[in-house]
Amino acid sequence: MTLSPNEAADTLRDIAAIETRSQRVYGYHRASPFLILWGILWVVGYGLTAVWPQRGNAVWIAILAIGLAATFAIGSRGSAKVDARGIRRAAIANSRWVFPAIALIAFAFISSTFAVMGPVSGRQIGAFIPLVVAAGYALRGIWAGARFVVAGAVIATLVLGGFFLLPAYFELWMAGVGGGALILAGFWFRGV
Amino acid sequence: MEQPDAIIHQPLRLKIMAALKALPRGERLEFMRLRAILRATEGNLGAHIGTLETAGYIKVEKDFNGKKPRTRVSLTEAGTHAYAEYVVFLRAILDGESSPASIGVATHAD
Repeated sequence: MTLSPNEAADTLRDIAAIETRSQRVYGYHRASPFLILWGILWVVGYGLTAVWPQRGNAVWIAILAIGLAATFAIGSRGSAKVDARGIRRAAIANSRWVFPAIALIAFAFISSTFAVMGPVSGRQIGAFIPLVVAAGYALRGIWAGARFVVAGAVIATLVLGGFFLLPAYFELWMAGVGGGALILAGFWFRGV
Repeated sequence: MEQPDAIIHQPLRLKIMAALKALPRGERLEFMRLRAILRATEGNLGAHIGTLETAGYIKVEKDFNGKKPRTRVSLTEAGTHAYAEYVVFLRAILDGESSPASIGVATHAD
C-alpha cells in the first residue's frame, strides 16, 4: 500500500473535520448543564418577580448569587474528575479563572451600559441582560458550533417578542418561555 | 522516511484517534457519543477500539451511570505520541519529503 500526496491531503482533511466535530460535540456537552441551570434560575427569578415585583431586586441578587456559585461548582466538578487522574493540572488552574472573569466582564459591561443609557425600567433590565447572554451564545457559536448560534437567536427572538408584544406579561413570559427555552436548549445540546 | 504506524493507518482507527485528540488532555468520550461523531456502526467501532486498546493507544473504562452501563475512552500518552507522529508522516508526504513509492505500511492490521 502506498500513499500519494492527494491521499495524504484527503486524510488530513478528514481528520481535521473529525477533530472539529469532536470539539463541537464536547463543547455542547460541557455547556448543557449550564443552560439547564440558568433556565431553571430564569423560571424561578422571573416567576418570583412576576408575583412580587416590589421584591425584584432582592430576588435577582439571590438568583445571581446562587447561579454564579452553581456555575463555578459545575465548572470545577468537571475539571476535578480529570485532576483526580493526575492530568491537566495546568489547564484546570487556568479554567478556574474563566467563569469569574466572564462574570466580572459581563457585570462591568451591563452596569456601564445601564449607567450610560439610564434611567431604565425593571422590564428593560429584564430584557437587556438575556439579550447580552443571547449575543454571547451567538458569538460563541461562530467558533464552537451552530447550536450555540441557534440557541442565541431563539433566546433573543423570545426576549424581544415578549418585550414588545406582551409588555404586561413580560416576566411571566420570560419565566415560562425564556427559561423553558434555555432548559430545552440544554437537553438539545446534551443529545448530540 | 519511517514507515507509518500500521495500527493508526486504518481509516476508522485514525478517526477514533482524531476524535479523542481533539478533546482536552485526559478527557474521556462516551462510546455512544464517539459513535455519533464518527457515524460508525457499533460493532465496527467496538472492534477497532479493542485494537487500539490492545496497542496501548487508548484507555477504555466501563462503569455505570446510574443504572445504565457506560463505556468511555480516552487517549493515552502513547496514543497521543503515535497520532502526532502519523500526522507528521502525512504532512511530510504533502511537503514532498518522500516519494509515493517509498511510502508504505510495514504490516496491515485490520
